Amino acid sequence: MSAIADAPAAIKKNYLTALKEALFEEMERNPNMLCQGEDIGILGGAFGVTEGLQAKYGEARVVDMPISEACIVGSAVGMALNGKTVMAEMQFMDFISCGFDQIVNMMATYHYRTAGEVNIPVVVRGPAGAYGGGALYHSQMNEAWFCNSPGLRVVCPSTPSDAKGLLKAALRDGNPCVFFEIKELYRKREIEEVLPEGDYIVPLGKAAIRRTGTDITFVSYGQNVYHCLAAADELQKHGVSAEVIDIRSLVPLDEETIFTSLAKTNRLIVVNEAPMTCGFAGEIVSRVSEKAFDLLDAPPVRITRLDTPVPWSKPLELFVLPSVEKIVNAALKTVRF
Amino acid sequence: MSQSTGAATAEKAHVVIEPNLASRPQDLLTPEDRLEIFRQLYLARYFDVRLIKEKRRGKLRGTLYSSHNQEAVLVGSLFGLKPNDWISPIHRDMPAFFLKDMRGGWRRSDRMGMSIEEVCAQVWGKIDSPGRARDNWSHIGSRAKHIIHSTSMLAGTIPVAAGVVYADRLDGGDAVALTFNGEGSTAQGIFHEAINYAAVRKLPMVTIIENNQWAYGTPVHLEVPTADVADRARGFGIPGFIADGQDVFDVYDKVMQAIEYARSGQGPSIVECKTFRAYGHGDHDDDRANKYRSPEEVEHGRARDPIAVCRKRLIELGILTGEEASLYQAEGKNAVEATDEDFPKEVVQYLNEGIDFALASDIPSAEEGAMWVFKENA
Ligand SMILES: Cc1ncc(C[n+]2csc(CCOP(=O)(O)OP(=O)(O)O)c2C)c(N)n1
Ligand SMILES: [Mg+2]
Repeated sequence: MSAIADAPAAIKKNYLTALKEALFEEMERNPNMLCQGEDIGILGGAFGVTEGLQAKYGEARVVDMPISEACIVGSAVGMALNGKTVMAEMQFMDFISCGFDQIVNMMATYHYRTAGEVNIPVVVRGPAGAYGGGALYHSQMNEAWFCNSPGLRVVCPSTPSDAKGLLKAALRDGNPCVFFEIKELYRKREIEEVLPEGDYIVPLGKAAIRRTGTDITFVSYGQNVYHCLAAADELQKHGVSAEVIDIRSLVPLDEETIFTSLAKTNRLIVVNEAPMTCGFAGEIVSRVSEKAFDLLDAPPVRITRLDTPVPWSKPLELFVLPSVEKIVNAALKTVRF
Repeated sequence: MSQSTGAATAEKAHVVIEPNLASRPQDLLTPEDRLEIFRQLYLARYFDVRLIKEKRRGKLRGTLYSSHNQEAVLVGSLFGLKPNDWISPIHRDMPAFFLKDMRGGWRRSDRMGMSIEEVCAQVWGKIDSPGRARDNWSHIGSRAKHIIHSTSMLAGTIPVAAGVVYADRLDGGDAVALTFNGEGSTAQGIFHEAINYAAVRKLPMVTIIENNQWAYGTPVHLEVPTADVADRARGFGIPGFIADGQDVFDVYDKVMQAIEYARSGQGPSIVECKTFRAYGHGDHDDDRANKYRSPEEVEHGRARDPIAVCRKRLIELGILTGEEASLYQAEGKNAVEATDEDFPKEVVQYLNEGIDFALASDIPSAEEGAMWVFKENA
């Protein structure tokens, strides 16, 4: 139709651009919002997520912080106590450990210990995840630490439109949030997409079904969603139909979508690049075992990183991480159980 | 480190950047102000004495962290604050919650400080505590009254205080944040991160160090390598003041200089108040403290009771005269020795009202334990 032909071609955008748009739009919408982190102003961020932000909103609202993760979080909490909403960037989520106390003891507990007097709209966000040769200290997925600290939202988007919509939702939620971005997805061409128009959010606590299937359910988040999708393609050749659920938000968790899927497939594999012991994959399996045991026809499976750090050397890195092959093999075993 | 708590040490006051002050802040205090300061010292002391008595009578749960012998640090620091200023007290500073913004009337309805009722309800673990007894002892606060809610994590509220005043400045405010910290807590990484940040951004934050010579069972020379904790300021390029923590007026002078420096946009500073912890770290530690500290050390450290030092000054100034000058001899007495007769009547009555209120208040219902983990969004 001519109307479509005349319209400018909808532009596909990458995950990083989507995040950047979320920050620009929220800074515009909320004059009480600040951004702070290491190298986020003059430089525009190590990866460029905040590029142009300081030029537009000024040095007072887009703040270059000393290399002090605990102080980046703690001062953000103070600003929130005094009426602000703050995006606090970790240059890499691996370094979040240096701000750990301020996150779990100061920020996460604030609403609770003040019996609701104070709420802390602070989003601590930054790049995470392996598969890029980042080695031990630029590859971690340490989301489980924060899921184990009551009072924090924990979010991890896998697509550009979710990255934007979830970040905007997190910034408006009023609760502190630890927001895991997947740096390997920042500029990945294959996942670029046309973002929804106008102001939109993706609500926290709603999972997305990325592919429908009938024989087995893969539950995942972050870049492992793409491993699951590739495995589902592969399994199709074996006559196995896999459903892929991207939970997107760990806390709160959308259990319903998982249970509904299992009612159909009766088989569960959880895929997550964090180490296995006490990881979030185990949490999902536990909830299914407790609340939906009857739905299972086979033992649930976790495919995670081995309980090791993430090594630098490529073959070593791939050896310890979940892969399409590992998922396919586990799925074939599970459907034949 | 010597145990000196006297003015001799204060003479060494090291100031990296000399503030431009024509006169001593205390010279501007009226006789009424000085008498009020004297009364507040009694109030802080009586609070301490009375809680220890209540605990011994089995009427209280939880550990008490005494501020006995350190009251001048609290009263002298808080007296010159404006109502809108923020404070961040720690475990040793329980009286700070009600001392804030007390000048001009303890019962003023618009006070930017907690009422004695709220504080007592917290001590007794009752529902009328500002934190509904969700955390213990000094772990309360009030956004409305500009009191930052402390946690157990030593020095953990310093970055929060810095963030609070950053936001205030952004909104065009002129508030100053006063954080209280033990000398032991200056060994925490966050202490250095937060003051470094405040110095870089010239934030109006004053870090009070209550150097009571001991951090639980560790003496100050094993916590801090410099003779004066205030010397830390040098590395941040900010002023470091030293106050005689037994002399409420000297504390007032130094803290007021720091506050004016902060308010005028010049940045943060550190005020070290030299004092001495009278008892054990908490009341659970009293017996052991008698083993790890010699009687001579304790006697020396308590030789200059802040109430006595203040009384002497008021007599010198002719503010306390005749019979009045020897009324209420609480100085030097601990909780066993002191009686209500050692304290001004209004002090005893004020606390009685707080305690009566606390005793009448309910304990929270069990299910509150699961509430307020998240702010609920409609
Ligand atoms: C981060 C942290 N580590 C340890 C403790 C346990 N602790 C509580 S008070 C204290 C001593 C504090 O000494 P100081 O800072 O000098 O304060 P003071 O008690 O002498 O007033 C210790 C070790 C704590 N509360 N927080
Ligand atoms: Mg101490």
